Amino acid sequence: MPTGTYTEEVVRIQRTGTLYDCLELILDRGMVIDVFIRVSLVGIEILKIDARIVVASVDTYLRFAEACNRMDLEFDRSKTVPELLGGVAGGGGSPAGQMAAGLGKKKAKKAVAGVGEKVKRAVGAGDDDEEEEEEQEAREGRSRRGTASTAARPRRRSAPPSGSASEED
Amino acid sequence: MTAPRSVYVYGVVRASHTVSPGHTGVGERPAPVRTLRAGALAAVISDAPARLRAKRRDLLAHQDLALTLGKDGPVLPTRFGMVAPDEESVRQQLLSAQHDCLAALERVDGRVEMNLKAMPTETGLGSLVREDPEVSRLRSAARRAPGYEASVRLGEAVARGLERRAAAAAATVLAELSAVADAEVRGPEVEGCVLNVSFLLHRREERRFHGVVERFATGHRDRVELLLTGPLPCYSFTEGRI
Repeated sequence: MPTGTYTEEVVRIQRTGTLYDCLELILDRGMVIDVFIRVSLVGIEILKIDARIVVASVDTYLRFAEACNRMDLEFDRSKTVPELLGGVAGGGGSPAGQMAAGLGKKKAKKAVAGVGEKVKRAVGAGDDDEEEEEEQEAREGRSRRGTASTAARPRRRSAPPSGSASEED
Repeated sequence: MTAPRSVYVYGVVRASHTVSPGHTGVGERPAPVRTLRAGALAAVISDAPARLRAKRRDLLAHQDLALTLGKDGPVLPTRFGMVAPDEESVRQQLLSAQHDCLAALERVDGRVEMNLKAMPTETGLGSLVREDPEVSRLRSAARRAPGYEASVRLGEAVARGLERRAAAAAATVLAELSAVADAEVRGPEVEGCVLNVSFLLHRREERRFHGVVERFATGHRDRVELLLTGPLPCYSFTEGRI
């Protein structure tokens, strides 16, 4: 497993055209003209409440605890946490090492991505051809205990900017 | 005689701002975008669609137009979803807020907004377990008496620890970036983020800014994950309402 996986992802830089990572700015910032009407944004508030990062559920706590227990502090210093976490998520170290190495980070990201996915769901609700894809992504986002196959699936976030463009209709 | 049509407002620019024709706005059948001059200002508007919701398509249309306008001069983007009853009320608002708007346009001229979000990262779990006394205490406890509750407590402490480390790192990078940016303002709380902050940045500082973020992220990858979004329209630097 090339350690480069980490290096290139220490910071994710989203160029313009990205919507989900700055949605709260479009909705909550920007100039307000008091006397004007503002369209109802029903649905948007819900997603904000529903957005959860990985460090906020019992499920995650248990996963952390298990990772801690698998950690041998004396001898395993070289071992990366994602490997440990990956082993847990894969159901006992079954996934290939290649997948496991990146999994811990992926999980964290998936949780963050979950914000965007939920937003997408509400934002696109009622738009038929968008909806199918969104539902699928939302389901994907919900399955926190990623299996080897979800981990292997290319992440939405790793798609180049053109990828997000192709999502729109 | 037709009733006055309500208009969607995308943003405010200087009256001298050249808005190239051919842009379309929000709505299922996007209406053409036009400008409406009032004194030294112009509002960028289109007919408001009959039924407007915050759909992805519309959010993108709003965002893209603000970005496009920003290429030819400063723009004060409106918050998504601003609809005025008619053109005349837009004109009146612009005239009454002309002074403030011009000052705000001056502030954002040649600048962009960069948004930085900081999140805890799991990559530092190993060092957290070694360094955090609370975590190692609970870890020992969980080993002595394993069980659901002990695991939850341990995991909780880990989550808290990761968040604390991320927040501390985020505070440091915030200080470093503030030195490069013209201004910064906290964004709305986003769950899962220990920091959400927007910077007003001169375009010529973009590379430097990126450099700081990347260096910091590399040096603190076991403590914090950074997500940088931009350049964006200057949503956070329009100075409130008019």
